[in-house]
Amino acid sequence: MARAFLRRLALSLGVVWLVTVLVFVSTEILPGDALQVSLTADEAAQMTEDDFARRRAELGLDRPAPARYAGWLLAAAKGDFGTTIIGKADVTEVIAYPLRNSVLLGLVTALVAIPAALAIGIAAAYWRGRAPDFAASSGAILGYSIPEFASGNFLILCFAIWVPVFPAVITAFTKDPPSVLLGAAFLPVLTVVIGSIAHLVRLVRAGFIEALNSDYVERARLAGASRLRIILRHALPASVIPALNSAALYVAGLLSGIIVVEKVFGYPGLGLVLINAVEKREVAVVQAVSLIAAVIVVAMNLLADAAVMALDPRARSR
Amino acid sequence: MNRREMIAAVGAALAGLAAPEALAQPKPKRGGKFVYTNLYPNNRMGDAKNGRHPYHLLDINTRSAFNGLAFVNDRLQVEPELATAWTPSADLKAWDIQLREGVVFHNGRDMTADDVIASFAFHQARTSFARQIAKVEKTGTHKVRMHLAKPNSEFPFILGEYQLMIMPAAPLETIGLDGIGTGPFRIVDLDPKRRLVMERNERYWRKGLPHVDRLEVASSPGRMESALNGFRGGQFDAVLGVDPGILPELDRIPGTVVSTALSGDQALMILPKHEGSVFADKRIRQALALAIDREKIVRIVYGTKTGWVGNDSHLTPSNPEFLPVTFKRDVAKAKRLLAEAGHPNGITLPTFYFTASWPEVPRVFQVLAQSVKEAGITLPIEQRPSDGYRDWRVEDKARTRKHRFAYGPAGVRNPGVSLYRMRPDNNESGYWSGAACEKYMKLYDEAVVEPDPVKRKFLYVQMQQILADEVPAIHPAGRRNMLIHKSNVHGLENHSQFWSIRFDEVWKA
Repeated sequence: MARAFLRRLALSLGVVWLVTVLVFVSTEILPGDALQVSLTADEAAQMTEDDFARRRAELGLDRPAPARYAGWLLAAAKGDFGTTIIGKADVTEVIAYPLRNSVLLGLVTALVAIPAALAIGIAAAYWRGRAPDFAASSGAILGYSIPEFASGNFLILCFAIWVPVFPAVITAFTKDPPSVLLGAAFLPVLTVVIGSIAHLVRLVRAGFIEALNSDYVERARLAGASRLRIILRHALPASVIPALNSAALYVAGLLSGIIVVEKVFGYPGLGLVLINAVEKREVAVVQAVSLIAAVIVVAMNLLADAAVMALDPRARSR
Repeated sequence: MNRREMIAAVGAALAGLAAPEALAQPKPKRGGKFVYTNLYPNNRMGDAKNGRHPYHLLDINTRSAFNGLAFVNDRLQVEPELATAWTPSADLKAWDIQLREGVVFHNGRDMTADDVIASFAFHQARTSFARQIAKVEKTGTHKVRMHLAKPNSEFPFILGEYQLMIMPAAPLETIGLDGIGTGPFRIVDLDPKRRLVMERNERYWRKGLPHVDRLEVASSPGRMESALNGFRGGQFDAVLGVDPGILPELDRIPGTVVSTALSGDQALMILPKHEGSVFADKRIRQALALAIDREKIVRIVYGTKTGWVGNDSHLTPSNPEFLPVTFKRDVAKAKRLLAEAGHPNGITLPTFYFTASWPEVPRVFQVLAQSVKEAGITLPIEQRPSDGYRDWRVEDKARTRKHRFAYGPAGVRNPGVSLYRMRPDNNESGYWSGAACEKYMKLYDEAVVEPDPVKRKFLYVQMQQILADEVPAIHPAGRRNMLIHKSNVHGLENHSQFWSIRFDEVWKA
């Protein structure tokens, strides 16, 4: 098992490195640079090409791309993400609180979404073909089909404008304590849950139906076990393995949904930092955020693999 | 006079007597909090390290925390701010500036000539607007002399630029980073790229101002939906930089007041005139200018109220020197000019490229391209991403790739700055040359050394006439900057230079 895990760990490190290369190349091929996007059109109209060249040299933008990437990688390996190009601010400081806020939003979303998905999935499976199943399945598909920006704006219309109980825009400071941020984050959490729960619900439902149809559940039923006992003692543990794997991947997949929601609600997380950094060509910030996102996704995958290996003997031999 | 007329006359007289009281402005109420969000892009928004500096402040309306030596009002007249007077030398190359006495920075220190010298040492090194200043010399505790590299009859306008704020003297590396200014509000807290919280400066030099205790800014560059949601949900008292295209929607939001400035940015069509370009032929440029239905653009894109017709110069209706369009759309003449230029059956122009610097820019060129069809001009248009747009549209350094037939945004400035943008070596003029261009630059040279504004205006009018006749570039239409606020907000004036909106006189009923 240890060897299998180490092999996957090495593979994951390779994936993370590849992500840094791809992100760097992507930011390089984008038109414009940090200097150009920091100027107004009127200001640029007053500058000569020599002025541009001088400012680019001052900011280190005239160095060849491979040299800049190598410098960044060496420093990042030591935990130093460098500084921003224009403001010379420490990238670690720039992303620290937004990272905390995104993790917070992700955790709360997962804590709401995973139990909710389990409950809905189990209910849909148990009452298969009946009203609860129909309601759960169509609700899940509906939520899955509506993009987050649309469901987010609809929730804003309902709960921030028509019945103003929650803020339409989160204006909390990035450094505000988690309690303040979470107090304002009801609508963002709900938006991500609605948009992301469908896949998990369907997986749980399918796993649970399979468990309910299994021989051992049939045997338990014939032995006279109560319905509740059959669900909790026999069917639920059997459907945990696929659900656990999916839940880990779900948490990793939350990242993309959270970025959209952060933009819609102005939640001060990594998503907004990433969007700003791409717009401003702050390559070091884009690299750091992408690296963190890649590490989270890879770590969650590893966690899922490790969990499955621990729980399912067949997986250890693969 | 019959009875009916007598009653009407008496009524009118009584109404006239009552009018001063009835029309009197309500007395400003002191206190409270004013929260607004700003949709205007700010390319230099800073981070925790430099976010309080006037160059990197969250809000481009830097006058909330700082002041310049001068202020340019919405009619584009320059007014003293931290200076009280300025006197040029006979050759307009040296300017003696008297500073306002009794002005105190937020940290309690008096503002003196040393602060002005230190601030301008930074500006000279860091912004192209101050490059013309060769030296700043202290001539008294509250007096400085600024020496210019070249004469500039409109130099005080430069002193009103939003970046050229006065900061307490400090070394170049640290000046301004603490966000201390002389403005109506002092910065209390900043969340970089998101939010700025300010409180009243009790020692503000404009006595009795500001009215509100607290000013809060939420930054939403380009996030119209989010800003309107916040406005409708009661989080924001005002939204600055609203897209003119949503004016009809705003009527459906109860208690909303729309405020438009006299003008705003305009669209510039750059016509490259290098060898082989169709625009090297003046008749084709003229035909295109005559074929554009400018009124239609203003009507369709701006709903008439929030747009204005351009006169093919960088000046706008805010400029007192602006010469309203002297020619009318003339499709027949456009066709005749095309025929003379060897295109009797019409012409297909090269693709015109633009980017959506403002939300309505694509709509402007869609209407424009449709309107010129009537004159037999086919104008293919293509939208480009805003990222790296300028580098993409201008020629490369070696000039192996020519400048493109493309759009450029043009802001609102004084005529000395605006009309200079059509100089022959600037890509915005499409590298214009020839006798008319030489005459244009000669008039410009005369204007920069002409101290009399009336005579200068005459020169500027002639320059605009040359542009209208020669058409080195086309400015079809422009926007009137738009902001919205709640009906209980008073004293919030819009400005053609959106970076010059002041909040000193804002109050809430």
